Amino acid sequence: MATNEEKKSGKIFNWLDERYDFSGLIEFAKKKSVPKFRETIWYYFGGIALLLFVVQVISGILLLMYYKGTEDLAFESVHFISTKVSFGWLIRSVHSWSANLMVLSVFIHMFSVYFLKGFRKPRELTWYTGIGLLAISMAFGFSGYLLPWNELAFFATKVGTDIVGEVPLIGEPILILLRGGEDVTGATLSRFFGFHVAIFPGIFVILLTLHLLMIQRQGIAEPEDYKKLPEDEKKTIPFFPNFAMRELLIWLIVINILAILAVFFPWELGTKADPFSSAPVGIKPEWYFLFMFQVFKFLPGEILLLPGEFVGILLFGIGILLWAIVPVWDRKTTKGEKNTLLTYFGIFVILFIIVFTILGFILD
Amino acid sequence: MKDKIIKILVSVLLLILTLGTLRARTNDQCFNCHLDLDDEKANLFKSDIHHLKGISCAACHGGDASTDDMDVAMSKEKGFIGVPLKENRYQACVNCHSDSDKMKRFGSKIPIDQFEKLKISVHFQQSFDNKGPVADCITCHSVHDIKRVKDPTSKVYPTKITSLCGSCHSSAEFMKLYNPALPIDQVAKYRTSVHGNLNAKGDPNAAECVSCHGSHEIQPVKDSRSLVYATNIPSVCANCHSDAKLMSKYKIPTNQYENYVSSVHGVALLEKGDLSSPSCNDCHGNHGAVPPGVESISKVCGTCHVLNMELFEQSPHKKAFDENDFPECESCHGNHNIIHSTDEMIGTQESSVCIDCHSADDDNKGFIVASEMKKLIDSLKTEDSETKTILDEAGQKGMDVSDADFSLKDVRQVLIQSRTTIHTFNLDKFKEQIGEGFTIVNKAKIRGEEAIDEFYYRRIGLGFSTIVVTLLVIGLYIKLKKVEKKS
Repeated sequence: MATNEEKKSGKIFNWLDERYDFSGLIEFAKKKSVPKFRETIWYYFGGIALLLFVVQVISGILLLMYYKGTEDLAFESVHFISTKVSFGWLIRSVHSWSANLMVLSVFIHMFSVYFLKGFRKPRELTWYTGIGLLAISMAFGFSGYLLPWNELAFFATKVGTDIVGEVPLIGEPILILLRGGEDVTGATLSRFFGFHVAIFPGIFVILLTLHLLMIQRQGIAEPEDYKKLPEDEKKTIPFFPNFAMRELLIWLIVINILAILAVFFPWELGTKADPFSSAPVGIKPEWYFLFMFQVFKFLPGEILLLPGEFVGILLFGIGILLWAIVPVWDRKTTKGEKNTLLTYFGIFVILFIIVFTILGFILD
Repeated sequence: MKDKIIKILVSVLLLILTLGTLRARTNDQCFNCHLDLDDEKANLFKSDIHHLKGISCAACHGGDASTDDMDVAMSKEKGFIGVPLKENRYQACVNCHSDSDKMKRFGSKIPIDQFEKLKISVHFQQSFDNKGPVADCITCHSVHDIKRVKDPTSKVYPTKITSLCGSCHSSAEFMKLYNPALPIDQVAKYRTSVHGNLNAKGDPNAAECVSCHGSHEIQPVKDSRSLVYATNIPSVCANCHSDAKLMSKYKIPTNQYENYVSSVHGVALLEKGDLSSPSCNDCHGNHGAVPPGVESISKVCGTCHVLNMELFEQSPHKKAFDENDFPECESCHGNHNIIHSTDEMIGTQESSVCIDCHSADDDNKGFIVASEMKKLIDSLKTEDSETKTILDEAGQKGMDVSDADFSLKDVRQVLIQSRTTIHTFNLDKFKEQIGEGFTIVNKAKIRGEEAIDEFYYRRIGLGFSTIVVTLLVIGLYIKLKKVEKKS
């Protein structure tokens, strides 16, 4: 016997279903399944990144209510948020921590896709949009880092944009475009604020929509070993409710971790940036740029008669390009063959990033 | 017998006069001729130290002093230059006075660095109509009748030097050509000073211009090389005032410098280089130096400590001090040996200066006020310190209390203002002033305590939300297992 509540909700559902065909959607979700294999766990990082992006958007909108993106007021407004606004400290800390966790999740997601060869035909465009999403995530981090206008962020931005300026031909115009002039000033802050809250979110949402649509359309990529299994041995789990519940379970754990980090390790504000003071000792960028920063520090002034920084940018450029266009040059995987070179290249990249990141942390 | 004695005396007198004439007439034919012509300069030169040392006119004017033939003696061939040009006439002096051999030859022990010093002095550096320095050797020492410095007839003898310097420095017309901003009343002020009075009475030991400013090496007062530059003044004054032998004549103590260098003013000026800190002349005056009178002490101190002076003058102490002839500021703070005032100066404990006059007997109001003021200061300092500890604890817990921490800086300001308000010796005004400090401290304390509470509130909130989320995770996991089992 249905209760009054159930009768009421049933009526609302029928009203909506009549107009938006919800039954069809539920039917589709019931039928939709995802492959189940040993490495399924890595696939959850895409969902984690998505959750953290949502957290970023919500906490970012809340911060926007008090943040003032000008040279004179930026630091003071963030200080105000951290000290005076109810739960402002929590929102800011959650925003900062979720930003870092999001970049980490996107990195893990990318490497899992790489090693499980999820980029191969027909999912090349999903890979490219994913690379684009990683790039924008890092750009989000770089631009957001300057917004509190503290000393560390100011000089890290100076160093970071200086490296961009070393890129041959286009470096100088890009540097001027980013900084809004020759130096890091209030104009840079305004620009970074604009990038952070308008331009990057716009591009990110477009890429994310395309990325999700393509995944929806093509389904989750199956690893080569799984693909070769006979159809009756291929295990799957229903997308709804099983996979969705698993995803939700992980999301809740991530939210718990995020809350603990935000409360126990609140993001420090430091001291206000003073463009006329000398750079403090130990200037470091965010951890995801640290390996590049450390490599540049190790580079000699001159390599083969060319400026060291130029060679560094060139090598990084080639490396990133090779990584990004892996679906183009990896012919073996597409043909269903094992490509050990690809795996070794991936392992090398991970080790390279880890080693130089650690060096960046421990060396001054 | 009487006639004989008279004859002997007349003979001796004639002999002396004859020898005198013989001495006046020398081998210096220039001098002889000019003296015969009753030339004024030759007459002056008779008693000039150079003439007495056997130096001829030719030493400065050139020519040949050994011949009485005027055409030969004053010929260009013999190097006659006539009157030396104004722009380089000092060179005639420098030729000998910077040459140790020549000076030794004349048995002189005077230094030979006068010109080196003069060269960098303000008098030599500035030009006179582009024709040589403003002042050179002749300007002060004169010409043809130059005497030893210690000769009372010398133009640079201590009792005459003031007039000599005043001949330029008291002339508005002259001084405005070089430094219109420089006062011209130094000599007038000097005449009113203790030094000036003694000098006027013929005391060569009393300080005059040269004693403080130096002679050849004079620099503008603002030049750190000047003897009267702020940081150099104490030692310049001490040259005489720390000389026990010299000062015994005037019956004044000689420990002022010793006291001053260890005083708060001396340390600020001499060790920290704070030129705003007073030196001897800031209290005693410079050209018109006199010891400040009892009643004017607060005004002298008040030139810098304006507020303290104003408050003191409105206080009940003013009248009492005047009536009892107590030196105002000095009674509590001392004079040359003023040390940094501490809160231990007020109150009724042993270190307090209040108990020098006030005692607990007869319900003495001053005693009660002093005791209350001390208690309030101590109390504010204790509260301030306790609040800092609370804020530190909050900070260590990761809470942002920078606003409250910053506000505590104002307590320091209130304490400074309260210490100044002490000079009113009015308890109500003092309470009003120090009360601001208590208000700030209380607000900061509340903020610190709230921050600590907030810290625990966050932990509790986190704990609660973690439990809720964890329960959700467990519930979801159980549900998931059920769903997966079913499927």
